[in-house]
Amino acid sequence: MARTFQVGDTFTHVRECDLYRPIYYAGASGDFNPIHIDPEVGKVAGLNGVILQGLCTLAWAVEAVGLFVGDPGRIRKVKVRFSRPVRPEDVVTFEGKVIALEADRLTTEVTATNQRGEAVLKGAIVEASLG
Amino acid sequence: MAIDKRFIGREYGPYTYTIGAEKLREFALAVGGAHPAAGTPGEPPEHVSPLLYDDAAAKKGPYGDIIAFPSFAVVFAIRPFGAAVADPELGVNLLMLVHGEQELEFLDVMRPGDVMTTTGRIENIYGKAGMEFVVVATESRNQRGDVVVKGLWTGVIRS
Repeated sequence: MARTFQVGDTFTHVRECDLYRPIYYAGASGDFNPIHIDPEVGKVAGLNGVILQGLCTLAWAVEAVGLFVGDPGRIRKVKVRFSRPVRPEDVVTFEGKVIALEADRLTTEVTATNQRGEAVLKGAIVEASLG
Repeated sequence: MAIDKRFIGREYGPYTYTIGAEKLREFALAVGGAHPAAGTPGEPPEHVSPLLYDDAAAKKGPYGDIIAFPSFAVVFAIRPFGAAVADPELGVNLLMLVHGEQELEFLDVMRPGDVMTTTGRIENIYGKAGMEFVVVATESRNQRGDVVVKGLWTGVIRS
């Protein structure tokens, strides 16, 4: 499965936050903060309903790079800033680009945008090993 | 109300967590987009790597067993951050708390049976743009004492 990578290579990954994804992610991760599962609490918190766990959005960015390098076990680092929440029924497009390449390490920059063109992650950095 | 900076340096943990195979599958498939049903994590979507859920495929693969989806680490490594923001002395309004930033570093893969021990420390507390920020650094070691995951967690308390 040897493939070569170059600075400037790009990749795209699209994920939909289906209606119950925040609840499924809560079950799998243990993050049951009510702002993720209870629309009423989401409203009281000023979030206009529930929002997806930021760490699920992070996981999708990691997934995008894992697919690009062909092995999720090669992910070595992720660094994100959550610009805007993802909500149920949002469709998030992850666009990545290789910004650095060393002997055994590939660094990508990933931006995630919802269906309205709003950034949910800006300039996330994900690194993977190539050795 | 500003959070008192004197809590910078406060430590939380250690917290110990034993990684189980079914939990790894459940997490990988929930992230991957499966629909859990009838006591199963659901059918794996096509894009999900078999290294994350298929024992037979994983045994033939590079790691000899299924491995954790990398950010599965948050399941156990979040503990010190959770303890810090719920620490009554800090007085964080959890309803106003959102996740601002996150860094995770993975020094090795994680497999079923690994026993992870996590400690954490409040690295910083500051105010910016009318909001309060709490930053917690974590380190998770496996049963051999090797650091496998480092985390930097930034919570934002909206005003």
